[in-house]
Amino acid sequence: MSDGQNRDVGYWFALPRLVARIAGRKVRRAEWSRWEAYGVGLLVFGIGCVFLAHALFEVVRPWALRSLCLLITPVAIWIACLLVYFVNWLIAGLLRRLGLYSAPTNNPLQSVMIISLITLLALLLLRDESGWFRSLGAFWLALLALNLLSAAILRTRHVP
Amino acid sequence: MHARAWLRNFAVRGVFWRRYLDFGVTNVPFYLRTVMMLIWTTFFFFFAVPARRALLRNLAVILPGSSRLTNYGRAWLTLFNYAWTIADAADHKLAKSEFAYTVVGADNLDRLAAGSGAILLTAHMGSYDLGAALFADRYHREIRMVRAPEADEKTAQHVDKSLARATAGAVKIAYNTSGMTLPFELLNALRAGEIVSILGDRVPAGSSQRETRLFGEVVRLPDGPFILAFVAEAPIFPLFILRTSFHHYKIIVGDPFYCRRSAASRDAAVEAALATWCRTLEQVIAPNWPQWFALVPIFPAS
Repeated sequence: MSDGQNRDVGYWFALPRLVARIAGRKVRRAEWSRWEAYGVGLLVFGIGCVFLAHALFEVVRPWALRSLCLLITPVAIWIACLLVYFVNWLIAGLLRRLGLYSAPTNNPLQSVMIISLITLLALLLLRDESGWFRSLGAFWLALLALNLLSAAILRTRHVP
Repeated sequence: MHARAWLRNFAVRGVFWRRYLDFGVTNVPFYLRTVMMLIWTTFFFFFAVPARRALLRNLAVILPGSSRLTNYGRAWLTLFNYAWTIADAADHKLAKSEFAYTVVGADNLDRLAAGSGAILLTAHMGSYDLGAALFADRYHREIRMVRAPEADEKTAQHVDKSLARATAGAVKIAYNTSGMTLPFELLNALRAGEIVSILGDRVPAGSSQRETRLFGEVVRLPDGPFILAFVAEAPIFPLFILRTSFHHYKIIVGDPFYCRRSAASRDAAVEAALATWCRTLEQVIAPNWPQWFALVPIFPAS
């Protein structure tokens, strides 16, 4: 536990950590940011929902059925997430047995897998005809690129 | 019979959900948990009917005059907060995640830690498991925590193991059953200088209780902590740990009060201390109603 009465700020992603450092704040790697906790999750879930709904709209034409699709899309994405977590858990178990993975939790591996999956969806959205979908895909890819760049900068400066 | 026992694992208070929570904490990155919390809270809002009804009744008393529909929304919010706090406790236990906290009444917390033999009186608010772990970690002191026994045996075992793991054995659990040994055990602990933590906003079945007034309603609350304080001549420290934001908590430690022998009878001293506790509860619960996880009926039905 940490005594939060100091002025420390904690972010898990490299991009806000770098921005906070540039702004002159004392920052470290910690899962303390509500923006990361709530915002990134909703963005990931949102991209999944937009992709599925868009794909369903390609084949479903009547508006009544489309409305139904919109209702079931979040539930379907949620079930898909549960399946992805389960499959990744199996993969993590296998990697642990092979001695290739030893983190205390499976969260780092799950992060890599899910962010890769969402990046794939974002790349597909980028190829769409609609400007809105392309923007959403580009937004995710820009965030990812900036975060990777920030991580590289922090690493070269030996900042944890 | 085996099938029924197996199905019991999936009841609202069954061990399946505790294990599922552990799975979630170790397999869902923190930034992806919000959506899971939203959906599971909605699931339990519909299926945990007795808990929902208890919350609605509490809200009707704490916030009189509000519409039933608004209170349904508030009950959902309370369950959402509850989901986060039990997830945070599991997170601390399994992933050793860091939590930031602020203390209101730090002097009182220091006095509690430095003193010899005290009762830490708390309520089903925020994450009291996490609070106990934090206290044990910060002050390197053991706590004897009194809890109501879990309805499900496997869940009870899971909770015991979890708490022992989160606090490296610094928190010893004593179950509040109708047996006669617990009061003597606690009295001995207090006289040996230990800190005894008791939940004072709900009466476990078969426990000693007394009528008092809370938010203007007649309720029955445990009087055991006050009788214990009276006999051991130990101070009572009200302590609450509230979730303020993601992985952020606020610890509120009130001024200690006593249940002392005076010119009045023992009953009068206990009633006065109970009334002091009720006023403290009202002051903390009223502005923090989304974090009062009293999931069983406390107030009489309207």
